[in-house]
Amino acid sequence: MALPPNAARRSQLRRWNRMASSNHVRESSGTGEGGVPTGPRRTFFIWMIRVIPNVMGISLVIPLLGYVSSSAFKRREEAWAAIGKMEDLAPNEPQELEFARTVKEGWRTTIAKKAVWVVKQSNGSVTAFSPMCPHLGCGYRWDAPAGQFQCPCHGSVYDVTGKVLAGPAPRPLDELPIKVENGQLLVMYKDFKSGLDHAVEL
Amino acid sequence: MVFNIYRWLDRRLRLQPLTQTLLEEPIPGGASWVYVFGSATLFLFGLQALTGMFLALYYVPSPDAAYDTVQYIQHEVRFGWFVRGLHHWGASAVMVAVGLHLLQVYLYGAYKPPREPMWIVGVVLLLLMMGFGFTGYLLPWDQNAYWATQVGTNMVASVPLVGDLLVRLLRGGASLGALTLSRFFALHVLFLPALIIGGIVLHLFMLRRVGPAGPWSDAQARQRREPFYPRQVFMDAVVMFGVFLLLCVLAFTIEFPLADRADPSDHTFTPVPEWYFLFFYQFLKYMGGPLEPLATWVLPSLFVLGLLLWPFLDRNPERRPASRPMALGAGALFLVAVFVLLGISLRYLHAIPKVEPFVARGQALFAQHHCAACHRVHGEGGKIGPDLSYVADRRPERQWHLRHLRDPQSVSPGSVMPQFHLEENDLTALTSYLLSLKSGAPTSLGR
Repeated sequence: MALPPNAARRSQLRRWNRMASSNHVRESSGTGEGGVPTGPRRTFFIWMIRVIPNVMGISLVIPLLGYVSSSAFKRREEAWAAIGKMEDLAPNEPQELEFARTVKEGWRTTIAKKAVWVVKQSNGSVTAFSPMCPHLGCGYRWDAPAGQFQCPCHGSVYDVTGKVLAGPAPRPLDELPIKVENGQLLVMYKDFKSGLDHAVEL
Repeated sequence: MVFNIYRWLDRRLRLQPLTQTLLEEPIPGGASWVYVFGSATLFLFGLQALTGMFLALYYVPSPDAAYDTVQYIQHEVRFGWFVRGLHHWGASAVMVAVGLHLLQVYLYGAYKPPREPMWIVGVVLLLLMMGFGFTGYLLPWDQNAYWATQVGTNMVASVPLVGDLLVRLLRGGASLGALTLSRFFALHVLFLPALIIGGIVLHLFMLRRVGPAGPWSDAQARQRREPFYPRQVFMDAVVMFGVFLLLCVLAFTIEFPLADRADPSDHTFTPVPEWYFLFFYQFLKYMGGPLEPLATWVLPSLFVLGLLLWPFLDRNPERRPASRPMALGAGALFLVAVFVLLGISLRYLHAIPKVEPFVARGQALFAQHHCAACHRVHGEGGKIGPDLSYVADRRPERQWHLRHLRDPQSVSPGSVMPQFHLEENDLTALTSYLLSLKSGAPTSLGR
């Protein structure tokens, strides 16, 4: 690691050191041999050479960080989508209702077909469930004779209110916001993280 | 801290001699503000590379998406307008810097022996820079981009024998479209950068081998020999900072607008090239008919060839401007010609009557819905429907047109005109266009 001591290199290093210290005032200010600036004049040049790139760097880094992160942390905006009519629902008979979901990913707007499970509960209220099993995200189905939702992947079973009856599911079926306007059912679609014991929206 | 890291690295990599050669390079005659243009160009190139990389994070080079992604960058991405603004104004600034650098080298006779190879590489760098300008202009895929590139690529077609072949290679197909866009994108962000970085390295390597040219008089050059560091570095840094501030101000204050989305069917659009091609655009207008090939490829080729070989054509060993009347005369003549053409072109552009945006939009809709298939306007179009050249003289009421466009039968029973089901905005625009068709109005827009 130690290179043989070399007087010339040492003195060069000292010169560099001198360049680095800004409070160096031993030399008088002015112009030395061959037009090389000395003293505080030299210090001023060196100080400017350091400050300018840093100022430019900072004034670029801040907007560029904002630019890069802009789309990364933006929450998806979801709109209410009409999925069907209230009058078509029978109590305790879940129906899988399809609708066109408008998905905006930055500059790209696409329309994808989505389905949600909608149930008119015995008390007259309407619930909508995300079509994905909260265990690992499989699509579950309604077994009408048994009166249960069943997931074919790992055997999770839920009742008509979404409560877990059996299987590895860590939480009840995820409910989606739903409302009724003039007999029209409107739902707001959302995705949730699977595998957790409480619902976390994506 | 930084210095300790430097010392640690130096003990292992022996950086000392390297920094020494880099910073202690002697400048004949001392540091000067005249020598800043090369490093300003390099700085601007770096800034273009940086902002370009960031634009590529959101940009998609496809006709379906390109325009939307640029709109997205401009209006929705945080600081997107700033990054795009810097890139746009930076492109112009780099051309100015290259021009000033060239002018300084020319004026100081710095291309003379032993610096001919450096000059040649410099000319190649200039051509690559123009390549960046030309390919980058298409990428936003708006009307301006599409039609300017249409004209630009058509010029290549005028080269005899191989013109057709060249234009197909350039476009990647028979016409300007999706294949052209991805091709121009690849050229702009992969091929040209690779080439230009190689060229810049070569240019700087040569500078280090032959050293800077310094003042044109030997006596002055011998007077002082000042190292590059710190005064010249300081001057370079100050100029870079000034240029940077200027670009920031431009990006903040002048939004570079997008034209409408590229519409290959809309032939009413008159494209305008970037200002640094305007002099050539104006020149082309004077070279119609049989003279056209002269302007589109003969003179440009001769000019580039002459520029490349200039150190061998100008054999006068003298560097002092006063002793080079021929070379300076030729240079001045060229500059005067370029600026006169640029001036005429700019005046001409300003003279174009300002078109109401709604009227222009309506005219575009008129083309888009093929109204000219039935209706004639100033001699162009079919004869099935009424001639609309002066329709506003006959029907000056806006409401009538709105009702008529919504449902022709409602105001003109028995009309064969189909219903077009236009949106409210489009209806208003189309009506505005129809109402602009009256006697005394300019017969054609934007030309």
